[in-house]
Amino acid sequence: MVTRSAVLLVLGRVLVKAFLIALAVVVIYPLVWMLLNGVKSNSELFSNPFALPVAWKWDNYVTAWNRGVGDYLTTSVLVTVASTIATVFISAWAAYGLTRVNIPFNRVVLILILGGLMLAPTVALIPLVKMFQSLGLYNNLWALLILYTAFRVPFTTFLIRAYMMDLPAEVDEAASVDGASKARAFWQVILPMCKPILVSTVLLNILFTWNEYLFAMVFTSWGALQTLPVGLTNLMSKHGTDYPVVFAGMAIAAIPVIVLFFAGQRYFIRGLADGVGK
Amino acid sequence: MTVSDTAWKPAAPPPASVSPKSPKNRAAKSARTRRWRNIVWVLPAVLLLGVFAYLPLVQNLGFSFLKWDIYSGRQTFVGADNYVRMFNDPIFWKSLLNNTLYAIISIAFQVFGAMILAAMIEGLRSQRWRGILRAVYFVPSAISLTVAGLLFYFIYEPEMGILNAALDFLGLGNFTQAWLGQENTAIFAIIAMSQWQGFGYCTLLFSVALQRIPSELYEAASIDGVGPFQRFFSISLPLVREMTGLMMIVTVSGAFQVFNEVMVMTSGGPNNSSQVLGTWLYRSGFVRNDFGYAAAVATAVFIITLILAAIQLRISKKRRVQW
Amino acid sequence: MRKSTQSLMALLAGAAMALSACADGGSQPAAALDPNAEPQYTGTLSILTKFGGDPLEPYFEDLAAEYKKLHPEVSFELIQETDQSIKDKTKTLTASQAMPDIYFTWAGSWANNFIDGGLAADLTPVIAPGTEWGNNFGESALKAFAKDGKYFAVPLYNNGKFMGYNQRIFKELGLTPPSTFDELISSCSVLKGAGYEPISFGNKDGWPGLHYLQQLFAYEVPAETLQSDFSPATAKLEDKGYLKAMDQFTTLVNECTGSGKDSNGVLYTTAQQALAEGKSGMYYQEILEFDSTASADSKLKQDGLGIFKLPAAADANGDPQAIEGSPEGYIINARSKNAALAADFMKFATNSQNAAKLSAPPYGQPSAVKGAVSTENSSGPVIEGIKQVNEASAAITWLDSVTVPAVADAWLAGGEALVAGTQTPDQVLASVRAASSAAK
Repeated sequence: MVTRSAVLLVLGRVLVKAFLIALAVVVIYPLVWMLLNGVKSNSELFSNPFALPVAWKWDNYVTAWNRGVGDYLTTSVLVTVASTIATVFISAWAAYGLTRVNIPFNRVVLILILGGLMLAPTVALIPLVKMFQSLGLYNNLWALLILYTAFRVPFTTFLIRAYMMDLPAEVDEAASVDGASKARAFWQVILPMCKPILVSTVLLNILFTWNEYLFAMVFTSWGALQTLPVGLTNLMSKHGTDYPVVFAGMAIAAIPVIVLFFAGQRYFIRGLADGVGK
Repeated sequence: MTVSDTAWKPAAPPPASVSPKSPKNRAAKSARTRRWRNIVWVLPAVLLLGVFAYLPLVQNLGFSFLKWDIYSGRQTFVGADNYVRMFNDPIFWKSLLNNTLYAIISIAFQVFGAMILAAMIEGLRSQRWRGILRAVYFVPSAISLTVAGLLFYFIYEPEMGILNAALDFLGLGNFTQAWLGQENTAIFAIIAMSQWQGFGYCTLLFSVALQRIPSELYEAASIDGVGPFQRFFSISLPLVREMTGLMMIVTVSGAFQVFNEVMVMTSGGPNNSSQVLGTWLYRSGFVRNDFGYAAAVATAVFIITLILAAIQLRISKKRRVQW
Repeated sequence: MRKSTQSLMALLAGAAMALSACADGGSQPAAALDPNAEPQYTGTLSILTKFGGDPLEPYFEDLAAEYKKLHPEVSFELIQETDQSIKDKTKTLTASQAMPDIYFTWAGSWANNFIDGGLAADLTPVIAPGTEWGNNFGESALKAFAKDGKYFAVPLYNNGKFMGYNQRIFKELGLTPPSTFDELISSCSVLKGAGYEPISFGNKDGWPGLHYLQQLFAYEVPAETLQSDFSPATAKLEDKGYLKAMDQFTTLVNECTGSGKDSNGVLYTTAQQALAEGKSGMYYQEILEFDSTASADSKLKQDGLGIFKLPAAADANGDPQAIEGSPEGYIINARSKNAALAADFMKFATNSQNAAKLSAPPYGQPSAVKGAVSTENSSGPVIEGIKQVNEASAAITWLDSVTVPAVADAWLAGGEALVAGTQTPDQVLASVRAASSAAK
C-alpha cells in the first residue's frame, strides 16, 4: 500500500532531479556554444546561433594560437607557476614562524599578514603605477610576480597556518629531541605533513593567477608579455570581425584550468572549503 | 624572458641554534638574539606586504589630496577637493549603488540560492549524480571572468547572441533587446553573468558543509517521520549557519571589488550606467587623467572593505575562531 | 572641533605625501632636436603605434625589418595598439613614465598634453616648413601639431570622416549621394523599404557616436564658438546649434540605423562588417577604414564603395564646408636617449617609397607626404576622400582628442544617452557644461 506522502516524496525527488539536470544544461550550454563557435565560420555565426558547424574549421584554433594566444599562454603559465611557488613557500614559512617559532611581536606580525586579506588591489593601483615606474619594473613580468605574490600571501598564510595549528606539538618535540634545527624540522617534518593543504593552496593560487586581470592590464603592455585575460581582450579588439578566432582563443584560455579542476577535484573542493573558514 | 627558480629560494635559511659554549651570563642575551633571528621566518611575507600592499595604501591616501598631472608629473596639493567632488559626483553614487545591487543579488543567488541547491544535490541518493552535478556547476568558476565576460558579451549581442535567439524561439520576441546596450539592463546583465560564473563555487562549499553534518542527525529525523522541507529548515539550515555568514561576507566584499567583468563587457557604459567603483576609479585615472580623484575613490573602496572586514572579524570572534 | 579635524587631515595628508615622495622635476619646455646630430645606429627603438590588428599590423613590422637591413645594430620594440586600446594604454605608459621613443598622437588637446608636459621633442629645426624634411609634407598637416610656432610631431597620414555607401545598392534603388541632411534621412526609408539596414552603427565604445556629433556640431555651431568651447577656460557651451545637432543625431539613429536604441550594444566592427557584406547601405567611417572595409575579398569590393561627406542641413548655422578629421602623427619622446635615431627612423618611414606603400591597399592610410596618394597606388575612395579633405574649408579634430579628457568623457556618455534615448539634448549639454566648468 502506497501512502500519499510517499507518492509526493517520489514525485518531489523526480522534480528535483529534473530541475537539477535542466540547470546543469543551462549552465554548461554557453561553454559548449563557445567551443562550437570556435570551429564555425563567421557567416555561420551570424546566421543561426544554435546550429552545429557545417564544416569544422579547426584551423581557427591554429589561427588564434598564431595571433598571440600561444604567447599569452606561455606567459600565463610562466607567471602562474612562478608566483604560485613563491606564494606557497613564503606563506608556509610565515605560517611556520607564526605557529611554531618564538618570534618577537608575534601578534603584530599576525595582524599585519592576515590584515592583508582585506586589502583590495584596486586601492593600491594608482600608487603602484608610480612605484613600479621608479623601480623600473614597468612591462616586466617581475611586476606581476611580485604583486600576485604579495596579494596572495595573506590568504595562503591564513590557510596553511590554520592547518599547522592542528598539527600536534609532539611532532616538533620529537624533531628537536633528534637535535634537528627549526629549519630542518620545517623542511623534513612539518612541510611534508602539510601536503594536503599545500596542494589546495597551489590550486587556489593557480585559479587566481590564471584569471587575474587588473594588474596584468595595467602593468604589462608589450605583445608577448601579456597574460591570457589581457591578451584575449586584445585579440578581440584587434581582430574584431573574426569572431570564431576570438571564440577559439577563449576556449584555449579556458580549457587548461577546467582540465586541472577535474584532475584535482578532490583537492579543489577541500581547498575551497578551507578557504572560507573551517 | 625566463625566471629562474633559484631566485625564489629563501634569502637565508633560519640559522641553526647558536653554539651552547657561550658563558651563562650571556645566555639570556643570546636567547633574545636568537629570538630576533627567528624573524627571518616571517620577513619575506612582511616585507612583501609592507612594501607592495600597505605602503601603497598610505601613498594612496596622500595622492587623494593631490592634483596629479601625469604628463608633466606635477603634483599640487588641493586639500579635500577630490573628496568634495566625489561626494557631489552622481556617477560615484551610481557606482556605489551598482556595487550594492551586485552584493544584494549575489547574496540572493550565490548564498541562499546555492544553499538550497546544495541541499537538493545532497538529498540525491545517487553518489554519482551528486558528484557530476557538483562538478558541472563548478565548471564556470574555473574559467576566468575575462573569458566569461567575453562569452556573455556575445551571448547578449543582438545580432549573433543566443539569448535573444532563445527568447525568439520561446515566443518571447518582445523581450529581445541589446542587454548590455541599454542603461536599465546593462548592470543586471553583467550581474547575471556573474551569478552564472560564481554560483557553482558556492554550491560546492555548501555541499561540503552539509556533508559535515553527522548523518545520525538525519537518520534520527527520518525515524521521526520528518519530511525533506522540515529537515532542511530544522537541521541543515541551522548547522550551515556559520558557513552562510561567512559566505555572505565573502560575497559582499567581492561585490565591492568587482572590476574585471564590467571592464570586459561594458567598460561601465552606456552612459556610465553600469559603472562600479573599481571601473570608475580606473576610468577617472586612466581615461580622464584625474589620478588624484581616482585615489579618492580608492580610499572610499578601502573604507568600505575595512567596514566589511570589521563585521567579518566580529562574526569570527563570535564563533571563537582565532585570528 | 572643526579646526582640529582640519589640522588632523592636514597632518595626515602631509605624512602621506611625505611617504609618497612627490618630488618631481615638473615640466620644462623640451629642448629642440639638434638637426646636425649624427644618429648612433645602435640600440633599441621602442615605438607605440595605432596599427594593431589586421590589416595594418605588418606596416611597422616591415618598416622595422627594412630599417634593420640598413642598420643591423638597431633593434625594435613595437607596441601595436588599436584605435580603442591605445587611449588607456597611452595614459598608463605616461603615468608610469614609460613612454617609448616614438609614439602615436592625435592632434588637439591630446598632443598638447605631451607638448606642455615636456614629453614631445621640439622638431622645429628638422621638420618645420622650409626644412628639407618638412618640405615633403603638406603644410597644414605639420601645423596640426604646431604650438607657439614650434613643431612637435611627424604627421604620418591625413584622415577624414565620410559616409561610405554601397554603390550597387544605391544604383539599384535609384539613390544618389544626398546633399542635405533631410535627403539622407529620406534615402534611409528607401533603403529600409528594400530590406537593407540603411546605416549600420555600432556604438559600444561610444566614440562612433561622438564622430557623428562632432561633424554635426561643426555644421551647426559657428566655428569661433565651437573652437572656444573646446577649451574649458573659455567654454560657454550655450549655442543652440548643439541642441539642433543632437536632435539631428537622434533622428539619424532612430530613422536610419537597424539597431536604433540598441546600438550601444553593437561593436563598431560588426557595423563595418555589415557594410562589407552588403547587408547595410551605409556606414560612417574614416578614410583609414576604406581599404579594410572594402577589402579584396569582400562583397563591398565587388559592389563598389562610394563615399560622401555627411550632408549638412540646408539651414546650417555653422560651417557646412568643414570636415571632421585631422592628421595623425608620431611624437619623438623628449626624454628618449635615441632621439636622433628616432628622427632618422621617422624620416625613413616617411620617404616617398614608404609613404606610397602606406597610401596603397591593404593599408589605405593617406600619407601626409605630398604626392604619396596617387591614382597609381591608392584606391578610388581614398583618393576621393583626400581630395575632399583638401577642399574642405576647415578640418575639425575628433571630439575625444580635441578637448580635455573629462569633457570628452562627458560627451561620450551623453552620446550614449542620446542613442538610448535616456537623456534629452538639453540634459546632455548641461552635463557637458558641468564637466567643462569642473575642468577649468
